Amino acid sequence: MTDTFKLPPVVLRLAAFVGLLAVIAAVFQFFAPAYLSNGNLHALLRHMSVNGLAAIGLTFVIVVRQFDLSFPGVASLGAMTLGFLLATGYSLSASIAGGVAIGLLAGIINGTAIAYLRLPDIVTTIATGGVAIGLSYFYSNGTSISENFFMSGILDLNDAKILTFDMPVVILACAAVAAGLILHASRFGRSFYATGENRVSAHFSGIRVKAYVLAAFGLCGAMACLAITLLVASSGAANVSAGSQLLMPAFAAVYLGAALFGAPSIPATLAGTLLMSAMLNGFTLLAIPYYYSDAIVSTVLIGAIAIFDPKLTATLGNLLRGRTAR
Amino acid sequence: MATVLSMRQIEKRFGVVKALDGVNFELEAGEIHALLGVNGAGKSTLIKILSGVYAKDSGTIEIGGAPVELGSPAAAIAHGIASVQQHPELVNDFTGVENIFLGEEAGKPGLGGRIDRKAMRLAAQKLLKRFPIEIDLDRRVGEMPAVDREIVAVLHALRREDIRILILDEPTSTLTEREKASLFQLMRSLKAAGIAIIYITHRLEEVFEIADRFTVFRGGRNVATFTSRAALESGVSIPELMLDEKTGDIFPPRTGEAGGEVMMEVRGLEKKGLFSDVSFTLRRGEILGIFGLVGSGVDELSKALFGVIRPDGGEIEIQGKPAILKDPHDALKRGIFLVPGDRRTEGLTLSKDVVFNTTLAHLGKASWIGGFLRFGRNRKAAEELARRVALQPPKLDRPVSAFSGGNQQKIVIAKGLYRDSQIYIFVEPTVGVDIGARATLYALMRELSKKAGVLVISSDCDEVHGVADRTIALYKGRPIAHADAAPSRDQLLAAGIMGVRS
Repeated sequence: MTDTFKLPPVVLRLAAFVGLLAVIAAVFQFFAPAYLSNGNLHALLRHMSVNGLAAIGLTFVIVVRQFDLSFPGVASLGAMTLGFLLATGYSLSASIAGGVAIGLLAGIINGTAIAYLRLPDIVTTIATGGVAIGLSYFYSNGTSISENFFMSGILDLNDAKILTFDMPVVILACAAVAAGLILHASRFGRSFYATGENRVSAHFSGIRVKAYVLAAFGLCGAMACLAITLLVASSGAANVSAGSQLLMPAFAAVYLGAALFGAPSIPATLAGTLLMSAMLNGFTLLAIPYYYSDAIVSTVLIGAIAIFDPKLTATLGNLLRGRTAR
Repeated sequence: MATVLSMRQIEKRFGVVKALDGVNFELEAGEIHALLGVNGAGKSTLIKILSGVYAKDSGTIEIGGAPVELGSPAAAIAHGIASVQQHPELVNDFTGVENIFLGEEAGKPGLGGRIDRKAMRLAAQKLLKRFPIEIDLDRRVGEMPAVDREIVAVLHALRREDIRILILDEPTSTLTEREKASLFQLMRSLKAAGIAIIYITHRLEEVFEIADRFTVFRGGRNVATFTSRAALESGVSIPELMLDEKTGDIFPPRTGEAGGEVMMEVRGLEKKGLFSDVSFTLRRGEILGIFGLVGSGVDELSKALFGVIRPDGGEIEIQGKPAILKDPHDALKRGIFLVPGDRRTEGLTLSKDVVFNTTLAHLGKASWIGGFLRFGRNRKAAEELARRVALQPPKLDRPVSAFSGGNQQKIVIAKGLYRDSQIYIFVEPTVGVDIGARATLYALMRELSKKAGVLVISSDCDEVHGVADRTIALYKGRPIAHADAAPSRDQLLAAGIMGVRS
């Protein structure tokens, strides 16, 4: 072993993240001078809160090495449930609880099918997502719901401030701290990671791996519905297609973060979300239509997966090393 | 008879390990030649060189008197050498015929190059005429019994007419006695057609049944070649030939406290098709050894004792109380810890560091109420455990994958020590572990046995005999000797390899 002085990898990775963020900011600032204005930064962070909550939930599923493609559909169902409950006259907290409970239930169904019945995760979650979207049309035949919204106070979830922070940002911060504590400072987090890294050895170590896979899907569903609650609060109406914009940014955030920091984790996901939101916000500001910005986000997602793939990075590393050696 | 293959002074190194050290080997046309030797003796390396998978470092290979270079599997096949792997890779959804000609399907002229099934079936019939054997090749391979799959694999290897040498790597390991007879029938008809067969097996009784000659490998050298008849007549002991010379005394002295408290009692444990009628008593203060070859059911037995697989019959009592082990979680709770045979897939989370791994089997101890980890305390515990098992280097932040085989095993044992169990089950504890680390591991087992019952399960007879106070051999899933006896090394070996009751 050579004991040459090296910067700890975390510092290097953090530097890479800050550098990337600076480049994105500089580019958009150049084209759209309003980008770094106070108002836009607030908008950016509020937008990040929605995607961040969904991405945090997804992080658990990715940590146990599964996929969940159902959460956008589940989130739509959660949004409509929330809207329906508010319109029927339930209190704000009861309505939110109802929406999140729907997400949790959908996640538990996913988890049961995948962990206990051993169904393939991708197909199963596509199917449950489809079912959820279908069910979301039940409440209003597909028209958006906004009755009682003003009275219920749900709009405050978007508009209120705690100290100088917007409410959505505060909610994201609380969720991130809670998820971070679970995943990185508790025995449960150890079990999630052990399950994902080597399911057999985790099982042999006495960890109830199926329960952890189930829990990951449950958390993912619930978090997606919590995320959509913020989106409903900001748009002022519950919409059957509300969840559809969650899929790409959430996956891209988790994978981009994992690529930057070496493994999926809550801080990595937050970093990834910030990068994604910084880009998406910039595109909105430049009035680039969503179909183009989606295409760009998708490109970033593919790039992140490629970097996350250890075989590919190893090949790439060897190529680069071979070049410098020559 | 004509010599079809002659290999001289073959050497092969893997890093510092000499896998083959001046091996000489000759094969005659139309003979069945068995290769024997314990795991790591060099027989697989030799056949991999012969089938073009590995390149030899030095030595010469002659086929039919002409020197050849076998640089790739394709080159080996071009020289008439075909091999059948231990677990043949067949496409389950294809028929036997389709599998035989996989990759060389007869094409019809015209658009898209459609497959000419008729031509393929005719070619298959021709093959069967050359090597008569009863098999329905129009069945899907996934529905075939094990022996038919094996036959399809052999026919696949022989689909070219110029094959002169066929290598079979433990083809009988998954076959029943009756199925074996039908495979042997095919081998005899190949032999009659002049094809020379190199036959690797762990089952010594098969040698006299089917092979004309056999060569024994030990430590990367060929140590003896006999014709089966001469060996039978002169009473050569094959096990003796297979065994390594004594490797110095790496085993700790026995303490011989036979009267300890009973930790585990197993009566008539059975899992159909894997093992049956297994009974033993494990006491505190002793090491009980079970010797069994790969495929004898020992690995499955260890998993049944840890709740990974559910036995069909029999009883397990733990410290006097009858127990049904539901899963590993349950087994750990009852004080059983398994050091599994495949430590890389079953024992460790390779990408995580030493602290993560050592505390993983007892996360309750590693955290406060509420589940929050006690980082400082866990690190101290891991440091302490690393010292106890003599981990080299004692770097706790390294991913486990960066440690050598022996040190990975020490980490699994540290994980077990952290769990503070009453019963430790070691499976193949020193596979891939160098001799120095072996001594440490054996000493650790002995130390553990002072407070707990230790069960050592291994396919290394010397290991079981050297480290254990009492031993049993498992042969084809059945115990041969009784746990109360202390058989000699040779008795144990004969029991485990040939099922001989002494």
